[in-house]
Amino acid sequence: MVETPYYIALAGILFSIGAVGFLMRRSVIQMFLCVELMLNSANLVLVAFARAWGNLEAQTAVFIILTLAAAEVAIGLGIIVAIFRKRVSTNVDELSSLKG
Amino acid sequence: MIVFVLLSLLAIAGALGTVLWKNALYSALSLVGTLLTLACIFVTLEAQFLASVQVIVYAGAIMVLFLFVIMLLNAQYPDQAEDPLPLVAPVAIAGGIVLAGALAYMAFLYKAPKVLETAAKALQGGTPGPVGEVLFTKFLLPFEAVSLLLIIAVVGAVALVKREPEGKQARETLEERATHTPEEVVA
Repeated sequence: MVETPYYIALAGILFSIGAVGFLMRRSVIQMFLCVELMLNSANLVLVAFARAWGNLEAQTAVFIILTLAAAEVAIGLGIIVAIFRKRVSTNVDELSSLKG
Repeated sequence: MIVFVLLSLLAIAGALGTVLWKNALYSALSLVGTLLTLACIFVTLEAQFLASVQVIVYAGAIMVLFLFVIMLLNAQYPDQAEDPLPLVAPVAIAGGIVLAGALAYMAFLYKAPKVLETAAKALQGGTPGPVGEVLFTKFLLPFEAVSLLLIIAVVGAVALVKREPEGKQARETLEERATHTPEEVVA
């Protein structure tokens, strides 16, 4: 049986890749994909800890997070489509009308 | 251990693909690969029901929504415009390597409170029965809250993409937009 720290380290690496992608990419959709990646690495940590403690509560929390992610994607993609209709662009550099 | 190394390499490859592909469509498909690999990792972590939900909800429903929007907006092609902040990418990569190293180092400081074999047995394989029992007793309030959140999200998504009634449309057509100068668009 693989020890828990290996899973947590894998989740850390996935999270870092997602964070770097979020900063590097200029397309809103790709930034959103990176957010999903980070969310999934958090799920992996929860499931790994659930096994370390022999407790199903963390696995149940992952269900709640999955539902949350579905709601978040529906709203986020709705916002992207609404912005695209007004501006015909998904590039964050052109969507700066809210800047201070 | 061999299974874990193989699966984690696949997951990292998929994650790198998500970040590095210039085409958003390939990016999304790489993420599907990562999500499916994570589902396999969930099986090795005694979370069988969660693994199937991951495949159905995440790799299925959510990613289909992503692909649908990418194709609807025709947004898969990379932007040719010049990067206004060229310094961001190297700084982000350096920071990401530091973050990954720090997180991996901290992970190995963790000492499990129980013997792994006995702890894993208590999960009963993470089958729907035991998981549902926890979900409908201890997690009943979050469960109900999330159902409310889903309704709000659905109504919100419909309200966001709803078209304005004729007459008070603020939206401009592509032809109108083409006649604007870039300064006007920014303003």
